[in-house]
Amino acid sequence: MNARHVIHGSVLLLAGWLVSGAAVCFGADGSSKNFVSCPIVRDTASVPCWLAEYDGELYFLTIQSDVTSPVTPPWLGHRVLVEGAVSAEPRICGGIVLKPVHLSVMPEPDASCNTMLPAEERYNLTFEPPRPPGPSKGRLAFDNAPPPAKPSPAALPPSKEFVVPYDFDALVGFNHARVLTDVLEFARAVSAREIEIVGYRGAARLSNGQVMPEEADLGRRRAEQLAMLLQGASLKSPSYKVTWRDESAKATGVDDYAIRRAVITVRAGTAR
Amino acid sequence: MTKWQSTLLAVCLSAVVLAAAPGASTSWWSPGEGTPLPAYATYDNDQGQLGVLNTSAPLDTKGHPFFEPIGTNGRACVTCHQPSDGMSLSVRSIRERWTATGGKDPLFAAVDGMNCPNLPPGDPRSHSQLLDRGLFRIALPWPPQRSDGARIDPEFTIEVVRDPGGCNTDPRYGLNSTMPTISVYRRPRPVANTKYTTHQNFGVGPFIGKNGMPSSIDPETGRPTSMNLMSDARAATLAVQAQDAARTHLQTAGTLSAAQIARITEFERQVYIAQVARRDAGSLVEPDGPPAFGPRNLAAGDAGVLGNNTTRYVFPLGGKWLHLPQASNEAETARNAARESIARGHDVFMFRTFWIKDSMHLNSVGLGNPVKRTCATCHGMHMTGMDTANGWMDIGTTNLPWATEVPLNPWTEARPQMPLFRVTCKPGVRPHPFLGRVIYTQDPGRALISGLCNDVGTIVMEQFRGLAARAPYFSNGSAATLRELVDFYDRRYNIGYSEQEKRDLVNFLGAL
Repeated sequence: MNARHVIHGSVLLLAGWLVSGAAVCFGADGSSKNFVSCPIVRDTASVPCWLAEYDGELYFLTIQSDVTSPVTPPWLGHRVLVEGAVSAEPRICGGIVLKPVHLSVMPEPDASCNTMLPAEERYNLTFEPPRPPGPSKGRLAFDNAPPPAKPSPAALPPSKEFVVPYDFDALVGFNHARVLTDVLEFARAVSAREIEIVGYRGAARLSNGQVMPEEADLGRRRAEQLAMLLQGASLKSPSYKVTWRDESAKATGVDDYAIRRAVITVRAGTAR
Repeated sequence: MTKWQSTLLAVCLSAVVLAAAPGASTSWWSPGEGTPLPAYATYDNDQGQLGVLNTSAPLDTKGHPFFEPIGTNGRACVTCHQPSDGMSLSVRSIRERWTATGGKDPLFAAVDGMNCPNLPPGDPRSHSQLLDRGLFRIALPWPPQRSDGARIDPEFTIEVVRDPGGCNTDPRYGLNSTMPTISVYRRPRPVANTKYTTHQNFGVGPFIGKNGMPSSIDPETGRPTSMNLMSDARAATLAVQAQDAARTHLQTAGTLSAAQIARITEFERQVYIAQVARRDAGSLVEPDGPPAFGPRNLAAGDAGVLGNNTTRYVFPLGGKWLHLPQASNEAETARNAARESIARGHDVFMFRTFWIKDSMHLNSVGLGNPVKRTCATCHGMHMTGMDTANGWMDIGTTNLPWATEVPLNPWTEARPQMPLFRVTCKPGVRPHPFLGRVIYTQDPGRALISGLCNDVGTIVMEQFRGLAARAPYFSNGSAATLRELVDFYDRRYNIGYSEQEKRDLVNFLGAL
């Protein structure tokens, strides 16, 4: 096995670790840990670890990687909403591993979130991170697979639904360019006649029992923003149907992140 | 002696000193002079020599719209994009022109070569932004307008806190005029190596990878653009930029014809610039030299590809210069030491990690805040050190608290040159994640185009080529030298560079 294979293997291992499904995510314990806390960054001899304290315990959230990582680190200067499940994996950087974990940077600045811990030998990573702290070794961390071949327009379905996920209380950000591009390309390919957008407002049920709803009109704002962005990208000929719903009452403390979404349905024109 | 008198004296003195210095620029290209542009030319600068490659040369500049005064103020494109200055314009050349022409050169036209057109012409105090920092006035409508002329409802309000040039508070030219306008002061960018600044490769898509907003569209092709051409990304293509520059900087009576635009942009696509020699390190473009250097390598390079990796590199130097063999004489020993410094500087650029914190459109795009990375993280485009994706970021060159400000105290007469604006994000708009709801800035940058709070103070990063020929640096000319540029980063990110690292980095940047 050459160095490239070793790196590739460790990348896949970590990718699996970051995105593994429900069967794994609840691990030996599996209890949900949903809380809002200041993130903590700990340096290592390689990439930093991101941690957070809750109820007297330290939790590991993620490591620094690159923009292709399915879990992106939080920000000092802001609190973070952590929605995760306790896994049975060995601690990383001193923290209990939450897996899977969803992180939402809270919008309001909080200067008290400023803890940076120095590297300590005992907290060095026991695996090779998919992306070193400097230049990569020629590939992005998680975006290795080439995009699937585009089907011919005739093979495209007459309508297609795109789910746009959001962080808590968030609108469109850096991580939405891809799904918006997918919507745009499909709509163009099928000469879309109608685009229906439903924006949802969700909530997060925290481990202390508190339900934290998103901003009151966020469903509307999400839907209207998506319509504006698609029109701004020259997708002006389809008719737009824009609605919104409040599903904040559906928060159970498990997979609440899935409620925070918008759904875009693109319907093809007749002349294809 | 007032600040202005000091300025004038300094300008005169520097002109005397420069005129006597070896390698002093004698290569000013006046509009309409008709000199052919050769296929390859070199121009001396303080650090060595710049190479200018004209791939479709020689070019007959007589009647060429890039070189002719096609506007009403006597300027041509070449006035602010001089071959000897890396197709940009150094403050040194500006001062030389002031001295040589008594301030009468079209370069000093009132429209933007003065701090404000309402000031008395011919007085160096009226041109202090240009003479001190190489800055031209950029007058932008407020609120912002889309390319189709429609008004954008900005996410913030803006107030003028300080207006040393007087333009932002002027009843005719200012924010409260009948055509509300904001004046900011910026450096001209190099019109060279444009296949990199206008690439259609990695990171270019219909939605901006840093905030999900729609990308600017090329009006001719309908394709999204990289938006890396100008400091605020307001012009999507070379053609759009040329038309805009002709109207605003050359004061053309009407619009440029399609034929004129075609000739200008064709020329801009064929010019490559880079340093080719350093006084200490000798030639940078020997046949077996590092493949990063010189305009020929730039012309041959792949555009718009990510170099922040160890397979391609941002600036491929190879390892040869890191450890050169024992030299046989003193001159060669000194040359080798300089080359080793350049190679070490490259490694500082590429591999020296530090914590990058609170920089909008870097820390906000999935890397975390802070992120432990290197210079090459942001400056990742192969061969140029630009961003491959839409490249505006806030590193603090114009936003307080990091922007360079004059320390006010009872013991100095120095007063700020740059305007200062107070930007307040409107209720209902998220505060800027790192600067909060109220931001003080010398130049709101991209936000004057987008109207977005998160864009306040973001500036499109510039290519690293030909730096030795075109000081000062940053969009507001706040770093007079490459050393000041490195020192800014060292302060801003608390990097803790050693003196050796700083020297090496400066030598490396000066070799590009």
